Amino acid sequence: MDDLLTEFVAETREMLAALAGEIVAWEADPADRGRLDTIFRFVHTVKGNCGFFDFPRLEALSHAAEDALADVRAGRRSADRRLVDAVLAVIDRIGVMIEEIERGESLSEANDETLIAALNGELHDAETPIASGGVQPSFSTAEQRTIRLPVELIDQVMSGVSEMVLARNDLARRMQVLGSDTGLEAPFSRLSALIAEVRDAITRTRMRRIEGLFATFPRLVRDLSAELGKQVFVELENGEVELDREMIELIRDPLLHIIRNAVDHGIEPPADRRAAGKREAGMLTISARQSGNTILIGIMDDGRGIDCERLAAKALAAGLRTEEQLAAMSREERIELIFEPGLSTAEAITAISGRGVGMDVVRANIEKFGGTLEIESLPGEGTRFLICVPLTLSILPSLTVEAAGQTFAIPRSYVEEIVSTAGGSLEFAQVGERRYVTFRDRRLACVSLGDALELEATADEASLFVILRLGWGDLYALAVDRIFDHHELVIKPLSPGIMQSGLFVGCTQLDDGTPVLVLDVAAIGYGAGIPRELHRPASGTARAAPAQREGLRVVLFSALCGERRAIAMSAVEQVEHAPATAVRNPGPNAQIVLGDEILPLLGVPEGAELPPRLSVMRLGDGTQQIAYASRKVLEIATLSGGLRRVEGDGGLVGVTLVDGETAELVDCHALFARHGQRSGGGRELTCRLSNDDGWMRNFLGPIIEAAGYRIAVGDEPVDIAFVDFAAEGEAFADARKAIRLRDRPGSGDGSDTIYRYDRAALMAALVRAGEELAA
Amino acid sequence: MSEMLLVVALAGRRAALPALEVNSVIELTTVTPVPRAAAHVAGLAALRSRPLTVIDCCVALGVAPPPADGDARRAVVVEHDGHLYGLLVDAADDIVATLAEPQPLGADPGPGWRRVAMGKVETEAGSLLLLDIEALIGGRDRSLAA
Repeated sequence: MDDLLTEFVAETREMLAALAGEIVAWEADPADRGRLDTIFRFVHTVKGNCGFFDFPRLEALSHAAEDALADVRAGRRSADRRLVDAVLAVIDRIGVMIEEIERGESLSEANDETLIAALNGELHDAETPIASGGVQPSFSTAEQRTIRLPVELIDQVMSGVSEMVLARNDLARRMQVLGSDTGLEAPFSRLSALIAEVRDAITRTRMRRIEGLFATFPRLVRDLSAELGKQVFVELENGEVELDREMIELIRDPLLHIIRNAVDHGIEPPADRRAAGKREAGMLTISARQSGNTILIGIMDDGRGIDCERLAAKALAAGLRTEEQLAAMSREERIELIFEPGLSTAEAITAISGRGVGMDVVRANIEKFGGTLEIESLPGEGTRFLICVPLTLSILPSLTVEAAGQTFAIPRSYVEEIVSTAGGSLEFAQVGERRYVTFRDRRLACVSLGDALELEATADEASLFVILRLGWGDLYALAVDRIFDHHELVIKPLSPGIMQSGLFVGCTQLDDGTPVLVLDVAAIGYGAGIPRELHRPASGTARAAPAQREGLRVVLFSALCGERRAIAMSAVEQVEHAPATAVRNPGPNAQIVLGDEILPLLGVPEGAELPPRLSVMRLGDGTQQIAYASRKVLEIATLSGGLRRVEGDGGLVGVTLVDGETAELVDCHALFARHGQRSGGGRELTCRLSNDDGWMRNFLGPIIEAAGYRIAVGDEPVDIAFVDFAAEGEAFADARKAIRLRDRPGSGDGSDTIYRYDRAALMAALVRAGEELAA
Repeated sequence: MSEMLLVVALAGRRAALPALEVNSVIELTTVTPVPRAAAHVAGLAALRSRPLTVIDCCVALGVAPPPADGDARRAVVVEHDGHLYGLLVDAADDIVATLAEPQPLGADPGPGWRRVAMGKVETEAGSLLLLDIEALIGGRDRSLAA
């Protein structure tokens, strides 16, 4: 907070200094509207800034002056001598207070009320104690030694420093040629260190942590939400990102506007939130992230989201779009309507936002300095604004690569990893013209840098990939011919003629002075057709949506029988590797030990020879699990073609084409249905075996358990009790059903007993009991 | 008042650029090509630590195909909108003084030239076509779009 206070003091001082001349002129001519406005803006700004700090007296004073001047501006009051004197006294007093704040002293006692009364015209001439109450501004030595410089001067120093770096590199190369005995090494390394130091210092003069800006938001949000009767928590993330000082000033207003909007329109009143099943307190997350030479600032609320229907209706009412146009628009496009001039979704214009400054102005202001503003919103779940602003004048850690004989730089912050086929560990898949490479179990689309730049392609199959991470975690693999090195490069703007392709963010120079283009890897990726993830990474509902639009997502695998098969991806919970020794009883009734579980194993043909290691897919339908064996899991694909039914094997839905080859689609429904039979329908009924009967526990117990029933322990109430034919009623009084067993074959004396070795009848009785219980 | 002009040779003709707008004339040895840029953008070079967008004036004019890659090429360095540009010319030799204010073009100077000419001007070296730097930088595409 200290930084903020220093800034407040510095800013106010500066304004006071600039105001000195204005005040004198206004005093001479109180009717001068321009001067009046300047002074009004000053007290208004001071009042606004006071809100962030605890200076009630300063706030009260500036507020009173603002009111008085507002009256003059509105023509309700004339700027008479007394008023002018009072305003000037207030400005003097503000100056004194600022001095005291700067020195860290408590504000000296002075009679503010008299001043305020004088402002309000409540005092008579005789008693106007306009002089500053004996408190003279005392310019002490405690003033922090700061100066303000024109930005151009700093830029000039910066570019001078980068030229020094180039000259040093040139020197280094020449020294290398000369050999090691020049006696220049020590002075050279000293020079290098000094240059690095100067470069750091000059970079710091331009850069500031965004924290200083963010620190003002919690207070702002607190005040706003209190005013609106809402509860809003603010979460700040990554305030340590550094941004150009100028840029911080430029994004302040747009950010404030978006935050106000979020609190005012986005987050619902507590009662509405409760009704919607949300926590009463809304959550506002403000985050900053550096991505290449862009700073991404996200403002995310968990409010009601943007009502795009209403936006559309308003656009229609305002005549901005026709009904046909609106009907053809997607939800994203409708949300974009918020940026149309003159559209505001708020039903009532409030004091907080919706005062005519629309999102169109906010976006225009951000675009003015080279930024972008994007918006995502899910009804009922919230809205996220994403501001991307360029990180001007930065020294960018970069990776230099080569494509078609030309060198390019990639901002290192995008680079996830570099992978190469040299180790033979990469797996590829070809889908149409698109190649995919497997990276950390994900299929990543490959983009050839040479192709994207329309350079002459090299004959070889791409073997070197830079894995790049875009915006919200979209990964893709950029194929390059060579990778050179990491550099710290000073990024320079390019002329519009070169920027118009949108493929580059700037240019930089290698040590030898050769210009190198810095790639806009996001534009290259999206330009090459990498899908843009519009939804929030953490939102499950958003992720499910596209899956329905596309075909069925399946896992392709090579089955034990050698066929290529596909299984619905949603059924696959996990893929595990298991040795062949974990498989019991290979064939239709195989089982497998996975961890400490025994699961039925499907996909094992009768008499099949098992590979030493199997890839086992654990399938689940939410309640039960079964395992499916394969030689290898191939990839994830989307089914688009039709299905052809196959006769004979009940375990397959049919045959389809995936990437031009046949694949048998596994019938998950049949698998679980069959498995269900084997496990007694999955209903877990408890059975009691007569405790004193060793035969029941040892002979009957295991087969009942294997059929999916649980053997009761102790005296707990049970569903089914197995009892001896001779048992009395009290032996199974706590059971809902009883199955009586007799020890002789043939028809027994009573009709409700079962011969204890008649397994089929036993199982049938169990199922019947279960059905009766369920009914 | 007389103005100073830089006389350049371009596609076999002589033309003039306002000397006040010219930073320097340099020999360009290496030009880094820029993929997918407009045709008249020959590439990127560096003037000390500043990037220099190299404009092939002949292509911008549309009067001649881009010459085959020679060794060194002469470039007139100008600054426009805060960016440095190197205008490739065949020669840039003399600085001459104007004898009169530039005059509107009388007869059509021919396709290509028409678009980049601001007028004609009488100089010590005879009558010259005064080139519009902005039009050269913008290239042919912009004029077609406009």
